Amino acid sequence: MSKQKMRKRLAALSFSEKVKILEKLRDRSLALTASGLRRKPVRKEKEGS
Amino acid sequence: MKATFEAINQMQADGVIGKYAIGGAVGATLYLEPAATLDVDIFVMLPATPGSLLLSLAPLYDYLKARGGTVKDEYIVVGGWPIQFLPPSNELEREAVAESVSTTVEGVTTWVTSAEHLVAIALSTGRAKDHIRILQFVEQDAVDRGKLQSILERHGLTPKWKQFKSKYLEGTHE
Repeated sequence: MSKQKMRKRLAALSFSEKVKILEKLRDRSLALTASGLRRKPVRKEKEGS
Repeated sequence: MKATFEAINQMQADGVIGKYAIGGAVGATLYLEPAATLDVDIFVMLPATPGSLLLSLAPLYDYLKARGGTVKDEYIVVGGWPIQFLPPSNELEREAVAESVSTTVEGVTTWVTSAEHLVAIALSTGRAKDHIRILQFVEQDAVDRGKLQSILERHGLTPKWKQFKSKYLEGTHE
């Protein structure tokens, strides 16, 4: 599946389904930060929104 | 996040806040594919305090802290998610709250900023990541162009939109 098709498919999911993905993405980011593989983001300006 | 939205709805039902609208990356997720974010931005109308012209987030923080919320930097963590409550700072943001869209998350009703207001606010804020988000909305045809145009005109953002289009969209199919 092309990247564009995948993005459309993800965008077409219900908000509930997309929120579950957001939670997984966030868990993954936090796990990467905790493991030291990713630096903790510096909040010089409003971040992440 | 369901618990987060339930807590916010309860806070609204208890009169601590007025109408609200989820903005930022979580709000954009209603219209686009999900993108990694660490927090939730919520535009929130605060009830006026009699005898004061100042709006304070203190009652909101006190309410949530009494129910297990924890303050972390400019956020308060509710239901496991850091939330930044943003009282509207201009007419565009006030309109975004007034015209927010109702949706549900696992059966919980919540309010999200309209796609067109998200784009207008991103344009107004103007950081690199805001521009990326605008491009996502445009590329995925996730905005009503007429409605967006009207919002941009109403809030004096047409020159900024022309600049944005010239920089990022000219030479494309847009």
